[in-house]
This record gives sequence, C-alpha cells and structure tokens, in this order.
Amino acid sequence: MMDLLTTVSNSAAIVFVRDSKYGMPAVQSVHLVGLTVLLATILVLDLRIASMGMMDWPLAGLERQLRPWTVGAVTLVILSGVLIFLGTPAKYLASNPFRFKMAMLGLAILFHVGLVRKFVTVEPGGRAPRLRMVVAGLSLTLWFLVGWAGRAIAFVP
Amino acid sequence: MSLLAWCQWLEHTPFALAISESTWLFPLIEGSHILALPLSVGMIVLFDLRLLGLAFRQGAAATLLHDVLRWSKIGFAVMFVTGGLLFVAQAGKAYGNGFFRAKLLFLIALGINAAVYQLVFYPKMGQWEPASTPAGARLCAALSLVVWIGVIICGRTMAYQF
Repeated sequence: MMDLLTTVSNSAAIVFVRDSKYGMPAVQSVHLVGLTVLLATILVLDLRIASMGMMDWPLAGLERQLRPWTVGAVTLVILSGVLIFLGTPAKYLASNPFRFKMAMLGLAILFHVGLVRKFVTVEPGGRAPRLRMVVAGLSLTLWFLVGWAGRAIAFVP
Repeated sequence: MSLLAWCQWLEHTPFALAISESTWLFPLIEGSHILALPLSVGMIVLFDLRLLGLAFRQGAAATLLHDVLRWSKIGFAVMFVTGGLLFVAQAGKAYGNGFFRAKLLFLIALGINAAVYQLVFYPKMGQWEPASTPAGARLCAALSLVVWIGVIICGRTMAYQF
C-alpha cells in the first residue's frame, strides 16, 4: 500500500503539482472554492431544518435544489484533497489532525446521507423542534470540525 | 511616512507582534477567516446561482436574497475583522505582494458590482417573473461569481509567499 502511494506520489503529474510554483496554491484554491460552496449548501439546509433560516422555502424543495451543488462541491473538495494528499502522503498519514479530519469527514457524510436527508422527507412540523435543532447542530459541528482539523494540519503535528 | 513604511511600522507594533508571534492566535484567526467563507461568500454564491438560473428556480429571487443576506452580513463581519487582524500582523509583507494587491482590487470591484445591483436591479426585483432574470442582473451575478473565485485564489496564493 505504502509502495503504491510512494509510486503515485513520485509520478510526473503529482510531482508537477507539488513542486511547480503555482501547482499547490492552485489545487488549494480549488479546495477552498469547493469548501465554500459545500459548507454553504450544508449551512443553508441545516438552518432550514432547525427552522432558523430559509423559512420561505419548503424543506424538501430546498434540499432538492441544493443537492446537485452539495454533491458537485463535495466531489471537487475530495478530488483536490486527494491531489494535495498525494503530494506528501507520508506527512499526512503521520499527522494527527489529518487522521481526525478523515474520521470527521466520514462521520459527516454518513450523518448527512443517513439522517439529515431523512429529515427532509417529513414535513417540518412533523418532528419535535428540539430534535431538529440537535440534528442540524450536530451536522454543522461535524462539518466544521472537518474544516478546523484541516486548518490544524499546518500547525499541529 | 510612506504607505510601505507605515505597513512596516504597523507589523512591528506590540499588538501586531502579539498576533504573529502567538502559537495559537494566528492559526485561530486564519482558520476563522477561512471557515467564514461559506457564511459570507458562500451565501452570495447561492444567490448568484439563482440569478443565473442554476439553482432555486422555483422561488422568487427577492425572497432568496432576503434569506441569504441576513446570514452573509454576519459572515462578512467575521471576514473583515479577521482579515484586518491578519493584515495588521503581516502588513509589511502584504504591502508589496501582487496577490494581496489583486485581492484588494477584486474586493473593490465586487463592492462596485454590488452597489450597481443594489441601485439598478434590487428595486425592481419584486416585479420579476419567477423564471426570468434581466440580462444585466445575470451579468452582475456572473461577474460576482468569477471575481469572488479570484479573491479566494489570491487569498490562498498570497499565504504561500509570506
């Protein structure tokens, strides 16, 4: 596994991204643009689930409108993230914030697909307001932990 | 005092040094700056997508603007405060940086773009048909999308050069 990673990380394409002057800034910029769109769609949906914002939009319709952008943005973030990772895989595998970030990312996606989207199919009044607040709060906490863990990679071993 | 000298002085004030030399303060401010992106720029992007007919087609643009603007105000407040603190901590280095200068110019352009939208298109939004957006308003949205992406690129790239 490590051999394969080493081979890939030494391939011409990855070396170009890693070592050219603007390769890494460009990929990191794509990562941030993707993050902006992804977390904006998550934020808007969670605010609506908690009945704190976007009240002019029916929940199911809002989710349907947001879905292609959430899926597109998470794809962009993961693809650019893989490119960043492959530049220096050993560094990331040894990094505690990176491991935490991947764990939180897995949880956030599972939580979103498994629970958050289930809430969308019931009418907003159909479930207890407090429960909806908790689900929205947990979703936001997980996604923003992913972001903060990502930021911590540069500062924490 | 020249602007460069002022920036260099600013960077060495005790307040600026307290930020740049602190183990936790700088990463914390920088992280807040980045993670306020979805709440600020992200909300504007959603509205731009609506004007371009790429999302939220079912509802009125005026309603969406009202919904997202409430939240983006908080996001932009965080952005300006954290961005200001980051600048203070690195003013001397930022002054001559091409990406920092481009970012400032882009932000000014976005301000003008938003002002044009506010004056020309905003007052008539209530009369728009749900499915039709005037070409001028769509142009504002396209400009906003492209230039905001430019701001993010410049912001990320300048950090590599310090």
